[in-house]
Amino acid sequence: MHPKRKQRLFLVLFVVVFASVAIGLMLFALRENINLFYPPSKIVSGDVPLNTTIRAGGCVVPGSVQRSKTNLDVAFMITDGNAEVEVLYNGILPDLFSEGEAAVVSGKVNERRVIEATQVLAKHDESYMPPEVAEAVSDAEPGATEADEQGKDHQASCEGMNYES
Amino acid sequence: MSNTKFYLPAPSAAAGFVAMLNRDLLLSYRHKGELANPLIFFLMVITMVPLGISPDPQFLASLAPGMIWVVALLASLLSMDVLFRSDFDDGSLEQLLISPQPLYFMVLAKVLAHWMVTGLPLTLAAPLLGVMLALPEGGYMPLCLTLLVGTASLSLIGAVGAALTVALRKGGLLLSLIIMPLYIPILIFGASAVSNAIDGFAIMGQLAILGAFAAVAIVLAPIAAAGALRVAING
Amino acid sequence: MNWQWFHRLGSPRWFYQKTSVLLPWLTFFTLAILLVGSVWGLAFAPADFKQGNSYRIIFLHVPAAFLSLAGYYVMAIAGAVGLIWRMKLAFVVMRSAAVIGAALTFLALISGAIWGKPTWGSWWVWDARITSMLVLFFLYLGVIALQEAYQSETTANNTSAILTLVGTVNIPIIYKSVDWWFTLHQPATLKLTQASTIHPSMLYPLLTMVVGFYLFYALALILYTRAEILKRECRTKWVAELCGVDVNNKISRA
Repeated sequence: MHPKRKQRLFLVLFVVVFASVAIGLMLFALRENINLFYPPSKIVSGDVPLNTTIRAGGCVVPGSVQRSKTNLDVAFMITDGNAEVEVLYNGILPDLFSEGEAAVVSGKVNERRVIEATQVLAKHDESYMPPEVAEAVSDAEPGATEADEQGKDHQASCEGMNYES
Repeated sequence: MSNTKFYLPAPSAAAGFVAMLNRDLLLSYRHKGELANPLIFFLMVITMVPLGISPDPQFLASLAPGMIWVVALLASLLSMDVLFRSDFDDGSLEQLLISPQPLYFMVLAKVLAHWMVTGLPLTLAAPLLGVMLALPEGGYMPLCLTLLVGTASLSLIGAVGAALTVALRKGGLLLSLIIMPLYIPILIFGASAVSNAIDGFAIMGQLAILGAFAAVAIVLAPIAAAGALRVAING
Repeated sequence: MNWQWFHRLGSPRWFYQKTSVLLPWLTFFTLAILLVGSVWGLAFAPADFKQGNSYRIIFLHVPAAFLSLAGYYVMAIAGAVGLIWRMKLAFVVMRSAAVIGAALTFLALISGAIWGKPTWGSWWVWDARITSMLVLFFLYLGVIALQEAYQSETTANNTSAILTLVGTVNIPIIYKSVDWWFTLHQPATLKLTQASTIHPSMLYPLLTMVVGFYLFYALALILYTRAEILKRECRTKWVAELCGVDVNNKISRA
């Protein structure tokens, strides 16, 4: 083979090899959950490593929040529409946290598939609407009847989720 | 070249690559003083951190992964300016351009040599600096691994900037300006992998992404750098 | 396919003459649509149920943010065309797009900061989108700085075009990684659902403003390119004639 062509072949092979390495590594990284963020259904089905810190997110199931009378212990359920997971937390919940709202918790999953949270964060949504529309939306929503003023504001993020399943 | 009658058969690309690598390594070996500069810079800036912020070990520990990564990035960036400079000044860059070797591999060899004398020592020195900044136990191995893969990408991307600014007399600051935004993804994944490892998370995913960055940079960066070198010589 | 129009674009003079006809129309439509959009958005659109009137800066902020990203791609395409076809005009467009893009990115950042103060209570938050915007601004500044650094016009054109293309490969990577970094650090705004809703009464003025901004971008690009053409071609005969200088007289005197 002409040396010039041989060089070119070598170059092309080199590029192809490294491009495939890049694609392979990317696919591997996508399979690894680098976000460490799991929906409740994954936790219930057992796809989550036990006793290592993970993050989970979902909607707080209305009526599931139970506060201890004596200390800051709080227990609630989060759901992604398919499954519910119990969360135990000791501490002060953020202001925007409320039932029917989205929340993100980080903590360890124990053997009973319960999250022992070390941190609870509330999600703020991105909906813009005039006040009268916001009222109309929350009136139409049967789950939001007992929600307070703040609950109405953030209803949109958990809208359409079936809590009964 | 190849249409003239009397030409020497071009050596294989691999031979050219090895020759270039040897040449650059020998050149850096002859300038031993310059060899240590990035390392000394690395060490000195890390010394400034407790002096400027707080010597509290717990506070330093939370700062350590990001701080070591940022300073390693700066050290690598500052050494980037000389990559093509002397070759440009003495005309050997022009010879490279008209040589029968693909410029791609020539650039790659120069970058590899540069990485071996900057990125690799920085990686090896990082655990020492980790001790100085009270880096927690689980962070040392991930720190070395991420720096090993990450500094390779830093050198490759930096080579593009060095090639773009080689024809300028005072390219140093400009080089940092145009290259630093491109370093951001590597910094994000490198530093967060270390702090995640300290918190007990798995870091294989982040390492794979850093590896993918390096592989993409190996493919694309020499092409861009070679193009920029041609522009620098031919206008 | 007829490629004649494409090759004609290579002539700055042709571009200058063609846009002279287009310019009054474009100016009229741009001003009209921007006026309609801003009056509609600022005066007639209802106030937000949560943010009150302060959300109205969206009508400036969102279109500016849209165009700062679109502008980078305009710049990259112009740079690629310039590198491949060695087209002078493409480099002029790239130069103009860099300056206008940087200005729009700056506008988006500033309006975002002003909006952030009443809504988040802080001028600056390390939010994923803000951070990516800032990085985009740095990329623009890098391209401009590289162009300014070279004395030779050709070298400045070619190097900044290469840098623009390198940046184009990097923009999606930077966006993705900043997004990922943000979700890792502050998952409070993590999107569980992709529900970003805006009521039609606010959407239509916003869309009007977006269209207006696109037209404004085109207008600014053409104006800047024309000025840049005159600067770069100031020694040619047609520019001299345009400025009313008697070329023959000048030559005879020289």
